Amino acid sequence: MVRADDHQLKLVANRALQSRIRAEQKSAPKPTRVRTKLLAGRTPRTVAGAWCASLALLLITSGCSPQHGKPDFRVELEDFFAKNRLGPDDFRITGREEDESDKEGKQANREKLQFIATAQEAAFGTPDKPFLFAEVGLRSDDPRWRALEPEERKKRLDLKKIELAAGAPGGDQDGKQRGLFRQHCAHCHGVTGDGAGPTAAFLNPYPRDYRQGVFKFKSTERGAKPTIADLKRTLIEGIPGTAMPSFMLLPNDEIEALVEYVRYLGIRGEFERDLASGLLAQDEDIPKTGAELLENYLNRIVEGWAEAETKIVRPPEPPPANTPEELHASEQKGRALFFDNKIGCAKCHGPMALGDANDGAAEKERLFDDWNKDKTAENAGFWLLPKIELKPRNLRLGIYRGGRRPIDLYRRIHAGIPGGPMPVVGTEQGGQKGSLEPEQIWHIVNYVRSLPYEAMSRPHAERATALLKERN
Amino acid sequence: MGKFWSILFLLVPILGVGLFVWAPAAGYWLPRDISTHGHQIDHLFYFVLWLTGVVFAVTEGVLFWFLWKYDANSNREPVKYTHGSHNLEVVWTILPAATLLFIAIYQMNAWADVKMRIPKGLDKKPTVEVTARQFEWRLRYPGPDGKLGTPDDIHHVNDLHVPLDEEVMVQLKSMDVLHDFFLPHLRIKQDAVPGMQIPVWFRATEPGTYDLVCAELCGWGHYKMKGRLTVEPRARFDQWLRELAAAQETTQEPVAEEE
Repeated sequence: MVRADDHQLKLVANRALQSRIRAEQKSAPKPTRVRTKLLAGRTPRTVAGAWCASLALLLITSGCSPQHGKPDFRVELEDFFAKNRLGPDDFRITGREEDESDKEGKQANREKLQFIATAQEAAFGTPDKPFLFAEVGLRSDDPRWRALEPEERKKRLDLKKIELAAGAPGGDQDGKQRGLFRQHCAHCHGVTGDGAGPTAAFLNPYPRDYRQGVFKFKSTERGAKPTIADLKRTLIEGIPGTAMPSFMLLPNDEIEALVEYVRYLGIRGEFERDLASGLLAQDEDIPKTGAELLENYLNRIVEGWAEAETKIVRPPEPPPANTPEELHASEQKGRALFFDNKIGCAKCHGPMALGDANDGAAEKERLFDDWNKDKTAENAGFWLLPKIELKPRNLRLGIYRGGRRPIDLYRRIHAGIPGGPMPVVGTEQGGQKGSLEPEQIWHIVNYVRSLPYEAMSRPHAERATALLKERN
Repeated sequence: MGKFWSILFLLVPILGVGLFVWAPAAGYWLPRDISTHGHQIDHLFYFVLWLTGVVFAVTEGVLFWFLWKYDANSNREPVKYTHGSHNLEVVWTILPAATLLFIAIYQMNAWADVKMRIPKGLDKKPTVEVTARQFEWRLRYPGPDGKLGTPDDIHHVNDLHVPLDEEVMVQLKSMDVLHDFFLPHLRIKQDAVPGMQIPVWFRATEPGTYDLVCAELCGWGHYKMKGRLTVEPRARFDQWLRELAAAQETTQEPVAEEE
């Protein structure tokens, strides 16, 4: 439809066209509704309505998620062995054609692997639904828990706390946060606590692998597990100098739930490793009863965690250092001990305590954590994370991973740092006599604490002063 | 088309303005200001809000009016074309430019007050050194000798305490990447730049616990890089520092560990 006005008419020079336009103006019908080309016959209002309706439908349906039904795998140990004894034909894991050699041996291994996997799930449940045998842990609102002696209660994990930390992140109906481990920890420490979560590869040092059962910064003797207070302390303070942050602002019950979950993953991981090494490496038989499984594999681990409280390193009072002179004297004694070749601190920490003793050294003289030591170029494909070197601490920075209190430094020196090359030098309770007396360790602690404030040129300055004195 | 769409467009300013009228009453508004200089910043905020709000309402109203008046179904007038108006373009360039220039000069005093006018002698007496790190706030108090970098410094993390009604000086550093020291209740926001030590000062006038959050994207944990600010009277603050210092000097394991 052409609608023209005088302005447009003036622009058109052709008289014939002008008269045609005027004629059309006279016979112009009423303006009709504007129609879009795409959806002929539909008004824009209908189109808009259709879009709104489909968007609403999309938003409503996207909120629904399918419910994954999985059978609840909670069985007591005895029931499990009575009802679920699988036959050999149930153990075929792969459907590939295999070579015929040692068919029986391979079948036996397959049985053992399947047993390990099934025993793991039977004994510990899943990340969404954790489970524990009554001998290992109970919910604290379970009547059986209340009926236990305090000694027995201490040995067990609190399943109620573990359930708070397990599952998918989110809140429950009371608004209480759940799924704490997956929300806060799993991206570094992994869902199984293997220290190889998605962000672990970017970190140095790697996140702790709980399955090794080795924890570096604790208050107990070298071979012992950390106490609950140690784990809580690590969570609250964080580990400065590493990627482990402080969770101080979480409520206390959430921190305790996470600590319990870490212990749960530690026990679970060590159980799996012990089963694998016992059944496969040492070729033991598959346990036939629940009691056998507990006795041979699980009890030792659970007891190790339970007795951590008895292995705490309790140093005696330090020698008096109340005046600056006393403190300085202690620091000088510590300095002499630090650089004593028989004790060997400077061998790793370096002649200036910068942690640079092994810089530029050959491969076999470099230091590694126990879990990095055995990685080679040949077997690199076997490991989740590549081999990284362990540098001895630069003691002049004032950053202490295991804590900066004197008692923390004492414990690092006394028991060393398990999992790495820092050795034991203190006398263990009822164990081997170490190379240093407690008083000597306190002197070293005082020296180490003074290092960040000691000018690096001082040792040279002292020698220079001595030289000048000789000359004059 | 009809007037239906004009009404729809009119709903935008109505709902928009309505939201801003309802929000303060429903609690969705600025956090409580407990600082001495925050009122200047809030004033600037309201000034800009009102200015842009009025312009917004007027512009949307005019838009609605044109949609309503020149609706094709009911409007029979022929189309008029224009070749533009130089005067109009000059006016709608000069006016906004002048407004922006005004705002730029108007805020200079507030900026200088917060960022440039350090109270006399305060930068020699830091209350705390805050080092931002992925993903926590590491704190270092100078200890009894009043100097940072000496053996009596008190180290802590995430739990920042400051004395009430005193000028507090924070020396802000970063250990790794860009962070931002943001105290919403004090209207303090300062980027922590690696390699720089930036003074931040304020005076808190009400006791209580408040938020400290990171306001510069610093990695995957930026969203939960939270700290807690506690403002307490000087006596309690000193007592808290003494307790921290004593705990930092622990040499003995307490025998009974109660949980």
